[in-house]
Amino acid sequence: MTGDPQSLSQRLATWARVKSPWVTVFNSGACNACDIEIIACLMPRFDVERFGILAKGSPRHADILIVTGAVTRKQASRLLRVWEQIPEPKYVIACGACGAGGGVFQGLYHVVGDVGTVIPVDMYVAGCPPRPDEIINAVVACLNLMKEDLAQGGKEWRRKAGDTDRKETTPGTVAKDVRV
Amino acid sequence: MTAQLTMEQVSGALKEYGSAEQVRKNRIRVSTDTQKILSAIKAAQQFLDCDHLILISCTDDTGSFGLTYHLTGPHRTVISLAVAVPRESPQVFSVSDILPPAAIYERQIHDLFGIVFSGHPGLSKLMLNEDWPDGEYPLRKDWKPNKANSYGGAAQGGT
Amino acid sequence: MAEVMVPIGPQHPALKEPVNFRIYVEGEKIVRLELDLSYNHRGIEKAAEERNFIRVLPLLERVCGICSHSHATAFVKGIEEIMGLEVPARGQYIRTIIAELERMHSHLLWLGVAAHEIGFNTLLMWTWRDREAVLDTLEEMSGNRVHYNMNEIGGVRLDLSEKQVEAAQQRLPVLEERIAQYVDMVSHQETMLLRFRGVGKLSKEEILKYGTVGPTARASGVDYDVRRDDPYLVYDEVPWNVVTDSSGDVYGRTKVRIGELSESLKIVRHCIENLPGGPIRVTSAPKAAPKGEILSRYEAPRGELAHFIRTNGTDKADRLDIRTPTLANWTSVAKALVNQNLADIPVIVAAIDPCLSCTSRMTVIDTGTMAQGSISWEELVRKCRARYGTEVQP
Ligand code: SF4
Repeated sequence: MTGDPQSLSQRLATWARVKSPWVTVFNSGACNACDIEIIACLMPRFDVERFGILAKGSPRHADILIVTGAVTRKQASRLLRVWEQIPEPKYVIACGACGAGGGVFQGLYHVVGDVGTVIPVDMYVAGCPPRPDEIINAVVACLNLMKEDLAQGGKEWRRKAGDTDRKETTPGTVAKDVRV
Repeated sequence: MTAQLTMEQVSGALKEYGSAEQVRKNRIRVSTDTQKILSAIKAAQQFLDCDHLILISCTDDTGSFGLTYHLTGPHRTVISLAVAVPRESPQVFSVSDILPPAAIYERQIHDLFGIVFSGHPGLSKLMLNEDWPDGEYPLRKDWKPNKANSYGGAAQGGT
Repeated sequence: MAEVMVPIGPQHPALKEPVNFRIYVEGEKIVRLELDLSYNHRGIEKAAEERNFIRVLPLLERVCGICSHSHATAFVKGIEEIMGLEVPARGQYIRTIIAELERMHSHLLWLGVAAHEIGFNTLLMWTWRDREAVLDTLEEMSGNRVHYNMNEIGGVRLDLSEKQVEAAQQRLPVLEERIAQYVDMVSHQETMLLRFRGVGKLSKEEILKYGTVGPTARASGVDYDVRRDDPYLVYDEVPWNVVTDSSGDVYGRTKVRIGELSESLKIVRHCIENLPGGPIRVTSAPKAAPKGEILSRYEAPRGELAHFIRTNGTDKADRLDIRTPTLANWTSVAKALVNQNLADIPVIVAAIDPCLSCTSRMTVIDTGTMAQGSISWEELVRKCRARYGTEVQP
C-alpha cells in the first residue's frame, strides 16, 4: 500500500472500495458446487449487488479474489498468475472445505494442496459447499478486515510472532512432491 | 427402440472374433484379441447395428491391460468387446477412424495407462498437466509417486 | 485469409471438465478446434480404488457439483447389483425424487445460462429464482443445497417425513405454473427465436457418428434415454415420456430441456403421491462386494453417464472408470462449431450444458503477428451481443 493512509485520496479510495468491492472468482479445481453457490449469490434470492458487491470477469479489476476448490497441478501456476494480476491491496477468500484444506481431494495425485500453499489467503469459508449467505458473510467480513488493515497500515498486524507465510518465504514455488 | 439382441444373434455375427457370454440381461461380452478388434467393431457396426460407443473402459489386470469397448445401438443391448493388451508392449490399433468419439477416450487412456493407440491422429496429453513427467502413468496399479521426480504444478507461464 | 487461433479457457469455472480449446478461425468463421481437458483433473478414479465404499460415496458426489446425486447413484446401483441387494421400494422412490429434482435444478440453471449468453438476462433471473424453490425442497429433504449425500449402499440415508412431503407438494404447483410459462415463452419469444434457431445444427447422422448423448442428442431426433432403455430406480413404474425434437439446433435443445422440466415435475409428483411405506434401506448391507464387474448407466441431466466398476471381493473397488456426458459431447461440439460464427461460440458451447456461467478468460492470438492478449468471457459475450444488436446496458 502506498501513500499516507490518512491522505484524502487514500481515504477516498478506501471508502469506494469498501462501499463497492469487486470480486472475481477462480476455479482452481473445485467440484463446481462452490462456484454455483457463488453465482447463486448474484441471483434474485440473495442479490449481493444491492450491497454494491459486483462480480467481475477480469482479475485486473478485482479487489477480492474468491478461490474455490483444492488447487490442481495444472491450475497452480494459473492461480498464481491471476493473483499477481490483481492490483494491491488484494484480498483472497478461499471458499469451501477444499480451499481450506483440500477437502475430499486432499492428497490425490493431481492435487497440489489447498489454496494457502500457492497464494496467501486472508479468509476461509467453511462448508462443502458453503451456503450463499455464508459466502456473503465472508465478503462482508473481508471488508471489515480491509478497514482494519488500513487503520493499522498494512497486513502485518495480523501476523503472529513466528508465523511464516508459505508463499512469501518461497516466492513462486509450490509443493513439488506428490502426496498420495 | 427395437427388440433386444439375443445371444444367438451376437455369437453368430461375432463368432470368428471370440466367444460370447451373457453377463447381464442386456449386456453381452465378447472376448477377442488385439489383432481383431478393428474388424470386430466393424462387424458389430455392420451386422448388429451398433451405432453408439458408450465408453472404452480400461483396467489394469497385472500382466496385461483390459480394454473393453462398450457399444450399443437401437436395440439397446450393450455389446462389450474385450481385449487384453500385453503390459510389455502396450499397443493396440486406434478405432478413432471408424468410431470418432473413441478419439477422446483413447487420448485419456493413453495419458492414464500409457497404452499406445497406433494410427491415432493426435495422441497428445489430455488429462494430465503439461509438465507431468513422461512415462509415469498414474492409474497403473504399480504406480507410486517417485520422490525424485517433479510432477509439476509450479510451472510459470502456460496458458 | 490467414487462420487465427483463439484459445478458450482454461478458466471455465463452472465446467466439470474445464477445458482449453483452441479455435482456429478464418475471419469470423470457425475452421476447427482442439481440446485440452486437464485443468480440473484431480485423480478421483485412483482415489476410488483406495477408499472403501462408505468413504468413496462423498468423493464421487464431488466429481461434479451439479450432478452429484447422479454419480453417487450410478455407483451405488452398480455395487448393489454386484452384491445382489434388493433396495426397498421406499428407498428407490426417494432416490428418484432427488434425481428428478436435481434434473430440474440443472435444467433451470442451464436455461438461465443460455439466456444470459444471448443477452436475455431477465430469463436468467427468473429461472434462477425458480431454481431456489427446487433447492429449498432438496435442502429440506437432505439437509444440503448441493451435495445431498442421500445414497448409501442398500438404500438412502434419510427418510421423508409427512411434513417434508407436504412442503414439497405445496411448491410443485408454483413450479408447474412457472414451467408452463417457459414452455409458452420458448414458442414465441423474439430474442430466443433469433439467436437459437439454426445455430449449432447437428443432424441425426452426425449425432450418431459423434456419440453425442443427452438432451443434445434428443434435440436431433435420437430417441435415446437410459431411463427408458435400461430402466433403473423406479422409472419403469412411473408414467413419463422421453422428450425429443427434430430441429437439431440450439433452439431444439432448449425445447427439449424445457420439455424435460415438465416431465421431471410429473415424475416427482407421482413419486411423492405414491410414496410406498416400509424401510428406506436394507437392514444390514454387506461391507464387501464379491468379485464382479458391471457397466452402470445413468441418465444424468446432461446425458448418459457410465460407470464401469470392477470389484475384487474386498470393500474397495478394483477399478472405477467414469465416462461423463460432457466428455462424450465434446466431439460433437467440435463438429457443431465448424463453419459457425465466432460470435456464436458461447451459445453453442453452452448448448451442450457444460455450464459456462461464470467468468472465463480467453487468449486471442493473431497468427500473423503472434500478438497475444486476453479477453474475458464476458467481453466475448458482450462482443457477440453487440454483433447481434442485442446488447443491453451492462
Ligand atoms: S468445498 Fe465441497 S463443494 Fe466446494 S469445491 Fe470442494 S468439494 Fe466442491
